[in-house]
Amino acid sequence: MSLVVAGVGKSYGGRVVLKDVSFQVGPHEFVCILGHSGCGKSTLLNLIAGFIQPDQGEILVDGVPVRGPDKSRGVVFQDHALFPWYTVLQNVEFGPSVRGLPKGEVRAQAFRYLRMVGLEAYADDYPHQLSGGMKQRIGIARALANEPDILLMDEPFGALDILTREMMQRELLRIWLELKTMVLFVTHSIGEAVYLADKILVLKNGRLAAEYLLDEPRPRSAAHPRLLELRADIERLLLEEEDPGEGGNLVHETRDSGRRVVPF
Amino acid sequence: MKPGTPADALSLSEGRSRTRTGTRPPKGLRSAGFLMSLIPVVTFFLIWEAVSRANGLFHWFNPLFLPAPTAILLDGWALAQKGLIIQSVVASTLRITVGFLTGCSAAVLCGILMSRSRTVETWLGPIFNMLGPIPALALLPIFIIWFGIGEFPKILLIAWTTFIPVLAYTLDGFKSVPPTLIRSALSLGASGRHIFTRVMLPSALPNIFVGANVSLGLSFSSLIVSEMMGAKSGLGYIIVDARNYFKMSNMFVAIVLIGLEFSLFAFLLKILEKRLLVWRTNGVRTAVDTGKE
Repeated sequence: MSLVVAGVGKSYGGRVVLKDVSFQVGPHEFVCILGHSGCGKSTLLNLIAGFIQPDQGEILVDGVPVRGPDKSRGVVFQDHALFPWYTVLQNVEFGPSVRGLPKGEVRAQAFRYLRMVGLEAYADDYPHQLSGGMKQRIGIARALANEPDILLMDEPFGALDILTREMMQRELLRIWLELKTMVLFVTHSIGEAVYLADKILVLKNGRLAAEYLLDEPRPRSAAHPRLLELRADIERLLLEEEDPGEGGNLVHETRDSGRRVVPF
Repeated sequence: MKPGTPADALSLSEGRSRTRTGTRPPKGLRSAGFLMSLIPVVTFFLIWEAVSRANGLFHWFNPLFLPAPTAILLDGWALAQKGLIIQSVVASTLRITVGFLTGCSAAVLCGILMSRSRTVETWLGPIFNMLGPIPALALLPIFIIWFGIGEFPKILLIAWTTFIPVLAYTLDGFKSVPPTLIRSALSLGASGRHIFTRVMLPSALPNIFVGANVSLGLSFSSLIVSEMMGAKSGLGYIIVDARNYFKMSNMFVAIVLIGLEFSLFAFLLKILEKRLLVWRTNGVRTAVDTGKE
């Protein structure tokens, strides 16, 4: 399973949202797409999901161009987008059931992932009866129940309070270590990206500004000096003024083997 | 009813409570609330009775104009003995049932077609926009000339009255389906048919019920008016017939029956709504903590 984004550009009414974005993601990689709000990171995710089509370039999954939404690319939305008229169980069953699996299998599959997110006791509740964190866990279970090759997450924890957020990050990491699905995770939190990712793609004004590789073992401590340094680095990059001029072509091969900044 | 909070605001509440029993007011309290709501109604009838009887003694105005509730009850009983009430109620019920259901189903069907096909919408939309604002009752004389004074023009009028609001609300419901719900269904592998039956319809259903509730009142007006013009049975017919013979109390009997019949229909609709929208009623039930244990 591989994802190739090649020279993708997208504009809305003359306003360029994404410009010449290229990167690759290998199987089992956890990639965070980081950037300010409005930098085009959600657009990028929507393009990969197939909800919208690029103006330029191509997105290939295993060499096949993305033409529309597909069950092989599961999506977790910021507002969880659970179906309010279905119970928790019915929500998680949605994917397997529209795929036409036999009833027993659908149920077994749904329960498997409900157990994975630790909410099987709430199977018969309706989404509005759950807290924000629980809803998002159901959202994750629902996407995973379809056994997607790629899990796309659009600021899934953005609406949660800080404590819940940290708990959810740990939970997600645990699930990912178990399943090793390819994850593309959009966030505006540097800390979140540094905690979670194998690879951080920094988007700035619709361009890929940098790509960091992290091989720090998990679970990571936020206080780790190398991670602190990386955070400061990314922060600087994001706060930096427009147009770095001549220096725009810098390639830092930094002293830490685990991280690298690629050309602007 | 008791905690005067709108259902929508309540279902937005974030917190959850595992305990479903106990969040509802205990049974005793609920019936106490019901009794409380009866007091004004009973008072209303007592004053009416008193005014009517006092008028019988002092002749402030013609006593025939305002018969006492007890007199109305007696007259109603007499009418019931003659079988007129049963016959009228059955006739009216059949008309409203057939007309209302036809109107609702036609509207939902039309709404589905219009939301699924651009062509259907561009052709039907403007026509309904043009015809919609015309008060349906204005059409009755035309219907009578076209279709005679049989059942058909009456049912058609009721159905048409029901149709327009339900259609408007249905279309609105389909248009306001949250796009992320459609996106999430698509990314879960849903086909066009799945999107429609499992996302669009359930999402629009609350709106359809709002339309049906709005229409119910209007279709009752149509029922009564159509029975007043060229009918030989029904509650509306009792009213015109009683007017011709200046039998005021018969008019009041019919009016009371219309009120009761409307309440019954509204109640049935509410039950259906609760059945179909469990996910909503449940929200109110769990979100309301009256704190009266």
